[in-house]
Amino acid sequence: MTQRATLPMTIALLITTLGFATLIFVQEAASPPLIYGAYYAGTMIAVYLGVRLWLPHSDVLLLPIVTLLTGVGLVVIYRLTFAGAEAENLAITQAGWILAGSGILVCVVLFFRDYQKLFAYKYLLAVAAVALVASTFTPLGYEVNGARLWLRVGPATFQPSEFARIALIIFFAGYLAEKRDIWAATSRSFLGIQLPALKYFGPIALVWALSLGLLVFEKDLGSSLLFFAVPLLMLYAATGRIAYVILGTMLFAVGSFVTYLMFDHVQLRVATWLDPWSDPDDAGFQITQSVFNIADGGITGTGLGSGFSQTIPEVQTDFIFSTIASELGLLGATALLLAFLVFVYRGMKIALVADDDASKLLAFGLTAMFAMQTLIIVGGVTKAIPLTGITLPFVSYGGSSVVGNFILTGLLLVVSEKAGKRAAEDESTLYSSREKTA
Amino acid sequence: MNAQLRRTFYLFVAGFVALVGVLAYWQVYARESLANDPSNSLQSRRVQEVPRGLVLAGDGETELARSEQGENGNYSRVYPEGPVYAGVTGYWSSRYGASGIEIGQNNNLSGNGEPETLDELLNQVSGGPLAGNDIELTLDPELQRLAYDSIANSSTGRGSAVALNPKNGEILSLVSYPSFDPNNIDENFEELAQDPDNPLLNRATQGLYPPGSTFKVITAAAALEAGVQPSDRYTDNGTYETPGYTVYNYRGREYGRQTFEEAFGNSVNTIFAEIGNEDVGAEALAQTATDFGFYDPYEDFPLPIALSFFNPPPEQWDQGNIAQSSFGQQTVSSTVFEMALVAGAVANGGTLMEPRLVREVRSPDGAILDKPTPSARSEIMDEDTASSLNDLMQEAVTQVESGAQIPGVKVAGKTGTAEAPGDQLHSWFISFAPADDPEIAVAVLVENGQEGYKQALPIARRMIEGYLRSQGAISNESPSPPPAPPQNEQTTPNNQPAQPKTDQSTQPKTNDSFQFPFQGQGKSPQNPGQTPGQVPGQVPGQNQGQNPGQVPGQAPQVPGQNSGQAPGQRPPGG
Repeated sequence: MTQRATLPMTIALLITTLGFATLIFVQEAASPPLIYGAYYAGTMIAVYLGVRLWLPHSDVLLLPIVTLLTGVGLVVIYRLTFAGAEAENLAITQAGWILAGSGILVCVVLFFRDYQKLFAYKYLLAVAAVALVASTFTPLGYEVNGARLWLRVGPATFQPSEFARIALIIFFAGYLAEKRDIWAATSRSFLGIQLPALKYFGPIALVWALSLGLLVFEKDLGSSLLFFAVPLLMLYAATGRIAYVILGTMLFAVGSFVTYLMFDHVQLRVATWLDPWSDPDDAGFQITQSVFNIADGGITGTGLGSGFSQTIPEVQTDFIFSTIASELGLLGATALLLAFLVFVYRGMKIALVADDDASKLLAFGLTAMFAMQTLIIVGGVTKAIPLTGITLPFVSYGGSSVVGNFILTGLLLVVSEKAGKRAAEDESTLYSSREKTA
Repeated sequence: MNAQLRRTFYLFVAGFVALVGVLAYWQVYARESLANDPSNSLQSRRVQEVPRGLVLAGDGETELARSEQGENGNYSRVYPEGPVYAGVTGYWSSRYGASGIEIGQNNNLSGNGEPETLDELLNQVSGGPLAGNDIELTLDPELQRLAYDSIANSSTGRGSAVALNPKNGEILSLVSYPSFDPNNIDENFEELAQDPDNPLLNRATQGLYPPGSTFKVITAAAALEAGVQPSDRYTDNGTYETPGYTVYNYRGREYGRQTFEEAFGNSVNTIFAEIGNEDVGAEALAQTATDFGFYDPYEDFPLPIALSFFNPPPEQWDQGNIAQSSFGQQTVSSTVFEMALVAGAVANGGTLMEPRLVREVRSPDGAILDKPTPSARSEIMDEDTASSLNDLMQEAVTQVESGAQIPGVKVAGKTGTAEAPGDQLHSWFISFAPADDPEIAVAVLVENGQEGYKQALPIARRMIEGYLRSQGAISNESPSPPPAPPQNEQTTPNNQPAQPKTDQSTQPKTNDSFQFPFQGQGKSPQNPGQTPGQVPGQVPGQNQGQNPGQVPGQAPQVPGQNSGQAPGQRPPGG
């Protein structure tokens, strides 16, 4: 585990500063109050120092990545709105969400250091996850762009599925670790695939189907894909049986086909994906504009502030990657993808060195979700796969997404702390035993 | 469990690599085709947000096109010289696309090209404005204005003038009239496209005309190469017979015994038909024309140039076609631009210089990005042949076309009077001076201007004189008699030409030209209703037709395509 990341932190903050300086001096954008920049930098530095203080053995390299991604996100959100009427608001709001997310991360670090206690409440978390997803069907929920994903509680609005995902991953990690042996060694078989007894299979299938079904009805296709893929990957990690993945994918194919037949909006999505050029002004507008802007960037990009991606609908949330590819070019976009990949790599490393199955599965599940989310949205805006509306972690504008990903990071940190601490103890034991023999 | 974790990680890595691949596909491989997608408006939006470069005349001061920022922050294009340079600058319209230098040098003017200086690279990386590069042209502002006014005030007000420096290929003026004002192209485009006078047609580069007797310069070059001496004697008895086609001289004149030199000066069609058939032959004649630039699209030139060509093609020529080609009628179509290059090649000792319109490309902060150097395009003939041809053209001026003479300067030239429907002949003159050390070569065409000496010649002479005077090659102390104005001012361009009688009285020798005086007497006029040579050229394919706006609404016909398939279909020409 990397326990010092002062230099990467400095570089991440410098890159963010460079981005804002470019916008302010070259594009002559009105500067947002500089104090917000100080708040942001101060927050990230405080989180870094706090984590080093409270979790001295954790993999602190995650934080410079988070700083880089949120910083790039802030710069791009600011760039996309600096000409508009609500100019400073979005970037400042986002900075506020980052502050809130950091606070929650610190809470996770402080209060969930003994995260394994969470597994004791796994069924409760499963119920909570389903309830969260279902909550948008209550009068508190409301629709945005035809998808019912939002919940309004007082003045605050949030997307419950962002948090339900994490709860669900904790549930799956705890449940699969407990029943892992049973899943790995089973007697019944179906189509040559050995299946565990319904008694063990039931709870997981129930939670899975319920959350998936609800999301499909909410027309939240991106989250549906995540809720499907991540548990499947965790199942594979727990059992090592590729047959489950194949079976799951077959089920998914059938399910997708049924959804395709059932819902007009799904058919439209697929048609738009296959041929957006036939209707570039209406149904295909968003994706064709995205691809035009990405192509416009070329290898080196148009330069920050010189592209035209601000006209893509939802550009600051789902399509923020199009702006980055357009203005920073293939080089900048690839660099950002590499930053995501480094986060995934660190997450995987944490899973690898974790002590017990539940911790491994938890770290793996969180990392897999992070990776899948990135792949799905970047693949979507580049027209590699059908577009589904989810956020780019840490970069996209959106409070629930930012806070959710900070929680995810906090959990990875506490998992890494435990393994790191044990490794440090092993080392000191080894050291002292050597001393004795000497 | 760790094996599964690793495998899944590799899966994710593969996913990220695939995404980079998809990005590379869009941003590198498919970039250009997407940029040109009709539903992609990014380019036109960028155009309005970034100032395009300046276009300057050859003096480095006269602004021909610049970008001005409007109140909404978008830039629009301003052409301070308006219609005078419209044939060169073209127009830049968000609705109708672009033409001229605006499109021909778009990569430079838009700044969309690859970054060429460190500043540009830094700007691109930092997102600074990529202002377009400035372009300085080779055009001489005084000469351009003089040529423009002269063509505008010619008898029909339809024509073109091209002048160049024969030694380095720099285009000194390029005029087409009627012209248009590129400043308000958006409002006037539809009207201009409908105008029967076709102001959107660049008559210098896109108008195709039979070059008439000016083509005899090419025939003479071929003849000299074939061994014909200026002193060789020929006999004209007024006609030259080929199977199916009889050549007559202009106004049916009979010249009797003539040396080749005299035949060139007097522009004796029959003798040129004879030389073409008996001394030169189809292949050599067509080859010489090709050496001079026929069938050459001049792809490096920033304006699209219509191909000068023969129809029917030389391989299919019979004797009648060779005869017609020898004096530049019916089978031959050329641009004014091409004929100016012909004059320039003779002037430059037989070496055709690469024609150049752009002298310098500069970045917005003044760094020189490109400065084309003069280069020889082709060696058409050896110095001796060129020198003989130079003498022939000088003799033509001193002995016959005295109206082209300028005191103290040796002028070489050749008139042309090209057939056109009715009696509305096209008036041509190609010339260069000083003949012993040429500084300028010109080609002038006045549509339906009648005989070459009447309209084209005085304009060419004024251009040459004006240019040489401005260059100090003629002292102001020995002014030539004021050139007779080619046309009275009250004549509007579209009027039928009113022939100024003064011209005829001062120009007694009228033997240059082609005429078909004996309408109906020719052998088997099969298609008397056809009108060869009437309409100035087609708009050719290389008219950068990214958008329909560049093609003038009227599609002019290709002269010669509806004529000359069969020799003798026209009444005899001389």
